[in-house]
Amino acid sequence: MRNKLNQSDSQSFIDSLSSKFTNIVNEFDTLKINIEPSQWTETMAELKNEFGLTYFSWLSAIDWENEVAVGDPPKEPVSPHFEIICCLSESIEGNLVLVSTKVEKENPSIDSLVSIYAGSNWHEREAYEMFGIDFANHPNLTKIYLPDGYEGNPMLKSFELISREVKPWPGDVDVEGMPEEGNKEGES
Amino acid sequence: MDTTINPNNMPHISEASVSVEIETEDMTLNIGPQHPSTHGVLRLVAKVDGEKISSVEPVLGYMHRGYEKLAEVRTYPQITTLVNRIDWVSGFANEIPFIAATEKLMEIDVPERAQHIRLILTEMARIASHFVFNGAYALEIGALTPIFLAMEDRERVLDLIESVTGGRFHPNFNRIGGVKPAAGAGPTTKKDIQDLPAGFYEETKIVMEKVLEGVDRFENLVGGNEVFRVRTKNVGIITKEMAEDYGVSGPILRASGVKFDLRSHTDFLPYDKFDFEIPVGENGDCYDRWYVRLVEMRESAKIILQAIDSMPSGPLQTKVPKVIKVPKGQSYVRTENPKGEMGFHVISEGGLGPYRLKIRTPSFSNISILPELLEGQLLPDLIAIMGSLDFVLGDVDR
Amino acid sequence: MSFGTEILIKVGVVLAFALNGAVIFTLMDVKGSAWMQRRPGPLHVGLRGFIFPLAEVIKFIQKEDIIPTKVDKTVFKLAPAFILFSVFGLFVVVPISPTLVVADLNLGVFYLLAISTISTLGVLTAGWSSANKYSLMGGLRAAGQLIAYELPLILAVVGVVIQAETMSLVGIVEKQIEWGLPFVIAGQGVAFVIFMIAATAEMMRIPFDMPIGESELVSGFMTEYSGIRFLIFYIAEYINMFVMCAIAATLFLGGYHIPLLPVEWVNFYGPVSLLTKTLLLGFILVLVRWSFPRFREDQLQNIAWKILIPLSLLNILITSVMKVVF
Repeated sequence: MRNKLNQSDSQSFIDSLSSKFTNIVNEFDTLKINIEPSQWTETMAELKNEFGLTYFSWLSAIDWENEVAVGDPPKEPVSPHFEIICCLSESIEGNLVLVSTKVEKENPSIDSLVSIYAGSNWHEREAYEMFGIDFANHPNLTKIYLPDGYEGNPMLKSFELISREVKPWPGDVDVEGMPEEGNKEGES
Repeated sequence: MDTTINPNNMPHISEASVSVEIETEDMTLNIGPQHPSTHGVLRLVAKVDGEKISSVEPVLGYMHRGYEKLAEVRTYPQITTLVNRIDWVSGFANEIPFIAATEKLMEIDVPERAQHIRLILTEMARIASHFVFNGAYALEIGALTPIFLAMEDRERVLDLIESVTGGRFHPNFNRIGGVKPAAGAGPTTKKDIQDLPAGFYEETKIVMEKVLEGVDRFENLVGGNEVFRVRTKNVGIITKEMAEDYGVSGPILRASGVKFDLRSHTDFLPYDKFDFEIPVGENGDCYDRWYVRLVEMRESAKIILQAIDSMPSGPLQTKVPKVIKVPKGQSYVRTENPKGEMGFHVISEGGLGPYRLKIRTPSFSNISILPELLEGQLLPDLIAIMGSLDFVLGDVDR
Repeated sequence: MSFGTEILIKVGVVLAFALNGAVIFTLMDVKGSAWMQRRPGPLHVGLRGFIFPLAEVIKFIQKEDIIPTKVDKTVFKLAPAFILFSVFGLFVVVPISPTLVVADLNLGVFYLLAISTISTLGVLTAGWSSANKYSLMGGLRAAGQLIAYELPLILAVVGVVIQAETMSLVGIVEKQIEWGLPFVIAGQGVAFVIFMIAATAEMMRIPFDMPIGESELVSGFMTEYSGIRFLIFYIAEYINMFVMCAIAATLFLGGYHIPLLPVEWVNFYGPVSLLTKTLLLGFILVLVRWSFPRFREDQLQNIAWKILIPLSLLNILITSVMKVVF
């Protein structure tokens, strides 16, 4: 039984979006619009006022980097950049769309959405401290989780997990060294 | 400026009035991180003028555990143990969106029986979470009795969850492709080997009757109390626009009159097979938020009773590879957690673990409304409003 | 009997009565809560929970009496004494039987109301000297509340005084014996309700416990207290509850007298009668405490100034008119 997980595959909604935006990806039931950073605020205002996407869900970023200090690097090389993703929804049909844009790694900066969606305030503060992205015109761009004297942006791929450096996670061993027979987990 | 005094222009002594505003300095009141009603370690720096609040600045991070970073060095099956601990009051409900997002990326079909078991346990987690809210909220308003009754009722539901999963708070029961086999804690029947424990259906029916009784008792004991009504009605009104702007979700959004419940909007679990109502409030005040949750408990009990009557048979898991590797792709799945919209954006680059995992937790967005909502309120109302948002600090800080 | 011996005996009687009353009321409160909330502790543990107050007292005595560095030490240490003094002082005029009374003052009611205000002083000093913002707010709330509810309390009693034509508590009971009915039936029903509500507020019990307001102000003016000093607040609370109920029983329920029983035997059944009535009133307070949430500060003031005070004034007016007419 395959389930549709988001209702963003409702065809009329996709059609109405396609008429306005050219770069739309619909993979795994997740609708994603890619836009230029210069259009960021206008697009959001348009989506809110014309497409009825009044419900602000979340905003965050992804650090695309080939050389990583934690985890696995991407399989295919990528051009290093930040991808900023904002998730909007509307509250009648439950349509959902992710809006994505790219900003460069040197002095990353983008306009703040606080004037359009008040809820983006804390999400932007989180992205600011975790990735070091500057949100222009933000009313109070300060750290939200981390203590005042904290240096660095923990969610960057170049930021090491100190405890992991000191003592490697045994979880890797579990997965790699799993015996062929015996452990029936994963099989029904 | 005319400095001469003209006696004709002077007001008569009876018309004279004195208006002197005494300027007082606002007092900074630190509420938390250790305080009886901040649900853990939330800290509010409030500027108060007597009992009146002029501004509030929440300070977060006392429980920030960096789950998003940790997820990058964990494999997919390991992450389910992490997400259990985000909102520990309803641990089971946290697993569903992550598992569903991963299954989506791997394009796995989950057996119907596993989906039904997931649904039943999610609704049980919802009942347990709302019982905690009901008891704790009454305690914050000042009534001392309901919390004891709520905990007793909740314990019955947790016992049921424990009998299936083996854990009260952190079940870690979901596997990619289904649920954990050999789950039953009690002796298994011949029919359902390695499945739900024997007598689970009968026990559930009894407990659900008790839950419904408990909900009725709460409606009388708490909702029927005039003091509770004057404390909560027309207090902390969240309008529709304000709620959507801040991304407030779940019962709080529904109390503001928005009929937005992901259980009916998305198909992450087979809710469309069951008949249930989505309660919606009118005013968006504290009383509505309390009442919406109360009615939701009834509806959840209804769903569970229907689900155990129509439980399909079949396997608990589909075949998945031993070492789980998720193909490249991005998927965002959100579910209706007891506290609101809980979503996981999984970005996979084809490795053993996600390249990036964005966790959207309901409480974080829900309490981001606090500074605007609390401005100009009285100090006792701060507690009433904060309590009605029903947040868990693990859910706020992740 | 010399004056000294007499004083000693009287102090002994007050102490014994007050402390025993506190123990009985603590037990009743805890048992009531256990019964309503299905708590196993006070219901089953330790002689069916009857040694609970003893355990409570021992626990507090063995704890360290912490005095924070920044507090105003003298005032901080003295504050519990003010409260204890005020509640003990109330016992002086409560008649247990016509002869068993520490002092039958002519202005008994006046003395009573005057002494009961001293506890405001204790609460305010405790809140101020603690050097804690929660304590300060608790103390200020308590001051506002005690002043607001002192008025309806006094005005409700004025009705009784007019009807009884005396301010002596023994005199008021004698008057009720003369009428054959307690005042709560014979005309002062409204005053009784007002008195009980105002008394609950005076005791700072739920639903009027904002000065303590556990979920808002941590523990209000008591936040910084620990050990034996906290115990004194705790005991004073229950002594206060006991004496307020005893006063209400005396003023409105006929005190030591039971209608239809011969007046000559009042010295025998008097103490039992008063105690029973006091416990009955206390039981109502226990029920209220464990089933009500608390009011908000402004709602509390509204109830006092907009409802209780006008009502009690009306009660005085009606009582006076009746007095003149009949």
